[in-house]
Amino acid sequence: MMPFIAFSNESLFVFYLVSNLINLALLIVAVYKNTLHRYRLEGLRLEGLKLSPFTPPISVLVPAHNEEMCIVANVLSLLDLDYPQLEVIVVNDGSRDQTMGRLREAFGLHRASIVYVAEIGTAPVTGIYRSLAHPQLLVLDKQSAGSKADAINAGINAASSPYVCVVDADSILEKDSLSRIMAGVISDPERVVAVGGIVRILNGSKVQGAKLKEVGLPRTHIEMLQIIEYLRAFLVGREAWAAFNLLPIISGAFGIFRRDLLLKIGGFRADAVGEDFELVVRLHRYLQDHGMDYHINFIPDPTCWTEAPSDYKSLARQRARWHKGLLDTLWSARDMLFRKRYGRVGSVILPYMWLFECFAPLLELLGYVTIVLAAIAGCLSQHFFLQFLLFGYAFATLISVGSVLLEEMNYRRYVSWRAVGWLLIYCLFEHFPYRQMTMFWRLRGIWEYLRGDLRWNQVHRTGASASSHL
Amino acid sequence: MASDSSWIPGLSLAWLVAKAILFSLLGIFLLLAFIVFRRWHRGRYFRRLSQRTVVLREQWPDILSGKIPGSAWRLNVLDCQIVEDILLDNIEISDSQQLPPLLACLRNSGLLDLRIRESRCSEGWHRRSVLLALGRTRAPEAVPALVEALESSSEDTRVAAVRALGRISSPQAALPLLDRFVDGELHVPQHTLKNALLNCCRGEPQVLVPYLHRVSLRPRELIARVLGELADPGLGEELLILAADPLPEVRASAARALAKVQPEISFPVLSTLAVDAEWFVRLRAVIAMSSLDHAGKIHVLLRALCDLNRHVRQRAAWTLARMHQGKEEILEKVVATQDNYALQAFLSELERCGSLEAALDGLGDVVDQAPGSAGVENVAAVVREHFAVPARVAAARAGKL
Repeated sequence: MMPFIAFSNESLFVFYLVSNLINLALLIVAVYKNTLHRYRLEGLRLEGLKLSPFTPPISVLVPAHNEEMCIVANVLSLLDLDYPQLEVIVVNDGSRDQTMGRLREAFGLHRASIVYVAEIGTAPVTGIYRSLAHPQLLVLDKQSAGSKADAINAGINAASSPYVCVVDADSILEKDSLSRIMAGVISDPERVVAVGGIVRILNGSKVQGAKLKEVGLPRTHIEMLQIIEYLRAFLVGREAWAAFNLLPIISGAFGIFRRDLLLKIGGFRADAVGEDFELVVRLHRYLQDHGMDYHINFIPDPTCWTEAPSDYKSLARQRARWHKGLLDTLWSARDMLFRKRYGRVGSVILPYMWLFECFAPLLELLGYVTIVLAAIAGCLSQHFFLQFLLFGYAFATLISVGSVLLEEMNYRRYVSWRAVGWLLIYCLFEHFPYRQMTMFWRLRGIWEYLRGDLRWNQVHRTGASASSHL
Repeated sequence: MASDSSWIPGLSLAWLVAKAILFSLLGIFLLLAFIVFRRWHRGRYFRRLSQRTVVLREQWPDILSGKIPGSAWRLNVLDCQIVEDILLDNIEISDSQQLPPLLACLRNSGLLDLRIRESRCSEGWHRRSVLLALGRTRAPEAVPALVEALESSSEDTRVAAVRALGRISSPQAALPLLDRFVDGELHVPQHTLKNALLNCCRGEPQVLVPYLHRVSLRPRELIARVLGELADPGLGEELLILAADPLPEVRASAARALAKVQPEISFPVLSTLAVDAEWFVRLRAVIAMSSLDHAGKIHVLLRALCDLNRHVRQRAAWTLARMHQGKEEILEKVVATQDNYALQAFLSELERCGSLEAALDGLGDVVDQAPGSAGVENVAAVVREHFAVPARVAAARAGKL
């Protein structure tokens, strides 16, 4: 028993050490990449991109299911984006509320006999509508298949541009976000097949008519901690993985994809729990299978603001669902592991996701159990135990502070000393007790997945994107 | 947690953990200190920048005229940066009359020479920002220095040089770009190059023509694309040749450019391109057709209205609905195509441009002369079914149909 406990504890230490060292390496790469990106931005003129006749058109796809509260304001803000050739396609995914009625009323929609070819199979599209006032708006009314992915696929079928941008109906894009994200595509259009932008938390900011008026910080601890978590995930994780062309996920709330490739891989998988993660892994697979030279990129300055769960119950559901999606995708891509043809994707990022993302809550739980066992068996060195906790906490906090530093150095959305001060203070709480809470929610996700419970679990939102705080 | 011994050879776990904790805490402290210092430093810098900008703005006429010599502000880094920024911002929005005094200030102060020297001597991001600043000056003497940077091994530097040459906006800056591009010696993103050529050749698109004959495939498409944006009537014959090019992208560019050529020359070619095998060539031809003043275009547009591609169809409908001549006559012809998609597209566009009622009125007159027309009933049925403006349409129908 004793040797097992000792071995378990030491293994756990090595696990944490390796995990944190990888995160530290990612932070260093991210600092370098962010700085490089900032320099490149200085030479880039978004104005030129907007005025250029060579800028490729984009179809913005907005899947909407029961979004009557925010749909009109959000579509208006999308139509107002600074981009020269834009098509907005709203897919009303069998809403039971007044989503379609609000759209019809606000935009003067009329039914159009447009040829719709379902290149990707979806639930039936029952009507296609155009707007008299906004020729660039197309609305699809379709029966619900119970998944956002199916609605996006219908949008991909109807899209007429070479690039599609998938945006959540309750998210807010900054006015120049499309120009900024397309700058990443235009720089290397042959290789760049998909680009993700940063998703930031809207809670606490002032919004008017689906436009962000003033960036602010939320009041509750749980929302503040999510801000730190998002900064770390996007500015450190995604930026650094993208540097090695190993980006495993492009957020479903904001990402750009080449439409022809989406059609080739059959679009989003309608029954996937985490359709965004699943799509990117499948894109990697397809491109590697066909020996294509490609890059799936992340660009940190095009920003999408989204509302995060503000209560524990909703957050728990969201995290459980994310973990189910993770497990589902990793399981379906298990044949890519350590296969030579999948290169670094199969030998680096997928094993990393299995070990440090998927199994992490199980290993953490194992660690806590062995600590308790060691204490019961009387072989727990209190001195070393405290040292171990302090190490895990301090090292992880270093990464969180590093992500605030990146934000401060390059993007500065949080301007005041007070805001930065609060962000730094909350860095101290991300790894205790927030991390432990998320561990239990993720364990719940694993349990639900193993039980075959793949329901979506609606997250309660307060409608910050639609409301006016001014 | 059990003991200080370890299965990791040569390492005491407790020692390792202690080191790691110290390292982490030190790292956190350094990051915090850096954040605080950086914020303080930036705040101080911007305060000084603001103060000096106000002072220099007050002295601006004297700086520009040379009453305040360049040496008074050039040797102070902050002042030099402010004056240069103001000068470059003004140059960008200046016309041909406003430009000379601004360039004279740059030259007389020695700032232009300094930047040219820096563009040759410096490296990395400093060089790139100097190149971009040189481009913004629009000074012809900056071109050789920018051309030298095209030879750089760094793609970022080459991109900066191409952007800068584009900002010079003169054919003189386009020639080195084109020379290197057709020889396959310029490796930069196509979008950047196209925009630079567009800016440089705006006044003289003929510059592109000889290069177009020297290249094939992708380079040919790129130059044709730029030419398509810039073409003028003087390029008529060249465009006719391009319209028969085997590359669809080149044909599409030719179609785009033919909109600017005399209708007698362009109409027959555009009519052919409007039935091209590639949908985007047909679309470009239909778009070009919309700006032509030629009686025969209705027939071509009606054919395009029945195109298999919805973009071609919609664009044809857009053009037909906005034509000044008899809408009712066009409506009848559209009905005669017996293509419901075409009819729908045309009616949608008629309503969008506010001409639906007028067209229905005109159609009513036709009905009075020939009652029981199946085509008119067809129009009425489509209108009834598809439009969410029942009152207006019903009124039109009640009166006339």
